[in-house]
Amino acid sequence: MKRVLTTCPYCGIGCMFYLLVDGDGILVGVEPSTQHVVSKGQLCVKGWNAHHFVNHPDRLTLPMIRRNGQLESTCWDEALDLVATRLKEIQAANGSDSVAFFSSAKTTNEENYLMMKLARAVFKTNNVDHCARLCHSSTVIGLAAAFGSGAMTNSISCVEQADCYLVTGSNTTEQHPLIGSRIINNVVNNGARLIVADNRKIRLSRLADIHVRWKNGTDVAFLNSVMNVIIAEGLEDTEFVRDRTENYEQLKRTVADYPPERAAEICGITPREIVQVSRIFAAAERAMIVYAMGITQHTHGVDNVKTCANLAMLTGNIGRPGTGVNPLRGQNNVQGACDMGALPDVYSGYQKVAEPAIRAKFKKAWAVKYLPDGAGHAVTTAIDAAAEGRLKALYIMGENPMMSDPDQNHVRKAIERLEFVVVQDIFPTPTTRYADIILPAGSYAEKDGTFTSTERRVQRVRKAIEPVGQSRSDWQILCDVAVKCGYGGMKYSSPEDVMDEIAALTPIYGGISYDRIDRVGLQWPCPDKNHSGTAVMHAGKFARGLGMFSPARYRPSAELPDSRYPFLLSTGRCYFHFHTGTMTRRSRLLDREEPFPFVEVNPADAAELRIQNRNWVYVATRRAEVKAMAHVTDVVGKGVLFMPFHFEEGPANLLTNNALDPVAKIPEYKVCAAKIRSAP
Amino acid sequence: MCRKDTERTMRLLTERQLEAFLRSAETDYDVRVPVALRDGTRTLGRLDDGRLALAGGAIPAKMTNVFFPQMDRLLTAGPDGPDIPKPVLRPLLVVGFTAQDAECLEFIDRFYAENYRDDVYFNRRDGAVIVCVSGRCGPQGRFLEIAGGKCDMEFICDGQSYLVLGYSPVGKALTEKLAARQPAGTATLTELQKESDSLAREDSRLLQAASRLLLEEKVPEEFWRSVSDRCIACTSCNLVCPTCTCFDVFDRVVDGKVQRWRTWDSCQLDGFMREASGHNPMGLEHQRTRRRIHHKLAADPKRWGQLTCMLCGRCDDACPTGIGVKAVCREMVSKYGSV
Repeated sequence: MKRVLTTCPYCGIGCMFYLLVDGDGILVGVEPSTQHVVSKGQLCVKGWNAHHFVNHPDRLTLPMIRRNGQLESTCWDEALDLVATRLKEIQAANGSDSVAFFSSAKTTNEENYLMMKLARAVFKTNNVDHCARLCHSSTVIGLAAAFGSGAMTNSISCVEQADCYLVTGSNTTEQHPLIGSRIINNVVNNGARLIVADNRKIRLSRLADIHVRWKNGTDVAFLNSVMNVIIAEGLEDTEFVRDRTENYEQLKRTVADYPPERAAEICGITPREIVQVSRIFAAAERAMIVYAMGITQHTHGVDNVKTCANLAMLTGNIGRPGTGVNPLRGQNNVQGACDMGALPDVYSGYQKVAEPAIRAKFKKAWAVKYLPDGAGHAVTTAIDAAAEGRLKALYIMGENPMMSDPDQNHVRKAIERLEFVVVQDIFPTPTTRYADIILPAGSYAEKDGTFTSTERRVQRVRKAIEPVGQSRSDWQILCDVAVKCGYGGMKYSSPEDVMDEIAALTPIYGGISYDRIDRVGLQWPCPDKNHSGTAVMHAGKFARGLGMFSPARYRPSAELPDSRYPFLLSTGRCYFHFHTGTMTRRSRLLDREEPFPFVEVNPADAAELRIQNRNWVYVATRRAEVKAMAHVTDVVGKGVLFMPFHFEEGPANLLTNNALDPVAKIPEYKVCAAKIRSAP
Repeated sequence: MCRKDTERTMRLLTERQLEAFLRSAETDYDVRVPVALRDGTRTLGRLDDGRLALAGGAIPAKMTNVFFPQMDRLLTAGPDGPDIPKPVLRPLLVVGFTAQDAECLEFIDRFYAENYRDDVYFNRRDGAVIVCVSGRCGPQGRFLEIAGGKCDMEFICDGQSYLVLGYSPVGKALTEKLAARQPAGTATLTELQKESDSLAREDSRLLQAASRLLLEEKVPEEFWRSVSDRCIACTSCNLVCPTCTCFDVFDRVVDGKVQRWRTWDSCQLDGFMREASGHNPMGLEHQRTRRRIHHKLAADPKRWGQLTCMLCGRCDDACPTGIGVKAVCREMVSKYGSV
């Protein structure tokens, strides 16, 4: 039995464990690291099952090419030749920006860096993005505007030090279990105060001092009103506001329009709840805001994020242990994929493509004469461009837009209209069905590299087994494509070489090297080899200097319930599955736990509609209708439905609304109008 | 056990000498020992997997996984018929059991032998030599209870070296191979035994009290609700428990052959008891939380005549929210009874 220390491939917490490999090279289990700063000998249910999918017989093991409408296996050489040739032909005929690249939050930092390098240095386009667009693009933009950096301000260890939490739009115990557990422990054992502001009755709400079940999408009105009360009652941190922030007067003016009575009406709660929340939060010495998709996935996602930042600054809860604005990143390497510049407007380390000096630096390092300067397509706008015929080709690495993007019919039409689709993945997915070429990639267990966790900790991923079949690591495939395109600047002997290049070009990763993170990862900013990393950001000074109050006004969600579609449908994840189910639905115990697409329905609504628990129902929106099993539960409020998006046979994203935040281009997964009926 | 007999085969070795002895035993045995892995995590591995780490108490992974691993192949069936795993050729010699671990092993040996004998388990278990580690080598300097005759051999730490004792015929034979070493003084063993006997048994009394409360049905549903509110269904409690024996079975078709595997299961999962209809007699969280404790402390005593929590402490260490067996029993007894 071989044991290999690596990082979990599921959520962004970044637990480390040992993969157990039997004599035949098959993964047969995991053992948590007892020494790791986060896992400490503990794991969640997905972590304990993280070995299971890797050797599943469904793995893609051979490259495939579509011939006469059918996908047929082929050799690597032919597949790579065709990728290079077709993409170049399409660009020659339609311009550089007729091609787009989807990078992946599941792959390593090195691979995300190489994907963006391939797009920019080889194919001369900034059309590179990844699924952070769909989860935390509003965070990256909102917090960068407020603080100068778009990442979690504090560390996971800080969660144990807070004496008050505002958990909003985060089902923490299900989606970030080892952060949720820290909140539970601190509340139960040390009496920390807990405010849960969420429409769903999540586990944490059972232990909360107050659970505010606001109407989905009324976040800005609620938080503005909390600040209204704090200012009215003189509970703000005047010293912090004076010394560390700017634009306070505008904040004051904006939140003045949200007295509790008015906000309560918008939010569907009582004014008293708003006052209570304000007092509890403002009274804390160390208050921490924890949020996730419930804040970000709205047409006003950036406003939501900025409003959270405003509240933290108003009460001086930033820059100290146990405080901060803490967006929890949902994927193992979604932080890293952003850090690596798999985004349409920045290189690695959020260095802007629009700045000539930055472009000059990368041109020199990559030995190219030209790099594009305009922002490229986001994941969401690329799909729109494809639907309109403006985008001709798509190279998708480790993403499954057919399942993950809003309004699946729209995505399907867009992908069908493309002239050429390359999909690089470990399993067949609804997206590979539309591929012209499938490149079989290696899973996290078959390669070396790094992931960056939600607390900005850059950690090692280690090869435990040989690649399954003829699959190859993503980094090797990307380098092979570059070589086929005649580019000599992507030849590396190992992912470690790539990290050395990243460190040389990326100030926040300047001090990262494999030898320094062999046992414990480092948290960026880590600018040089002597720097020990940054646990708490914005201590003493914000990354942008002064913190910027960025007040926002409440804007209703794009599509609200009406007489035809009387329910509010919200989508997300459940505990046992992950995203489009590619991995968890091939993990025996996880799939056994939730084997069917389901929709949560409030018992009162179910009674009215004569729907019983575990009955099959149809959920419909203006886009489509989907069959799912009813879970009758008071986790959802009356008039609200909740559906996870993991199930190919009942895809929630057939239903969702492709309405985007105007700045972040994030879709409104959390609110659309729906109706429900029993399935005959 | 006859003390004179034990004394005759007793030896005193340094950890380095023990390592040399274990290496020499590799000729006849598949030797597994506590090792420290690359980041310091202790586990059960081969001598070359990491630094020998005898001290530190119970290793975090359950020791019984050497016979009942997380995932195990039950058979492979192709056109030529099934290929069933055979008994291991070289027996295992497993070092690192605590006294409690040895009790756990004794129980699952009974469990897997009775009614439906589990051949896959006994393929590895039969002929295996069980070696306990005890004495002055526990975590934070704590004394580890001496196991005595619950194992084949024992390494008892006197603070610097290890007394090596053989109990079973095979254990004695192995110990006698160390004849060239200096025999240990019996005074030391007596002293260590006294230290072991004087160990506080508070946890044991707590467990007994909790068991009584459960058998007398004095613990209301409300208690289990309050505990289950803190359960995040990670399943760690089951997966690290040396007396948890439940598994699920699944098949994989690889290269035209069916591989049948089993994998550790958890009674904390809804799917564990869910019927094909969807009905689940353990369909509520607090019912599953109750089952975890009740099974070990109330159901098993009726079925097997013994408590099946041996207080190894693993679930308390692995539970992210502090509701391992000991913690729950402490809370239960403080609310509804007395030790």
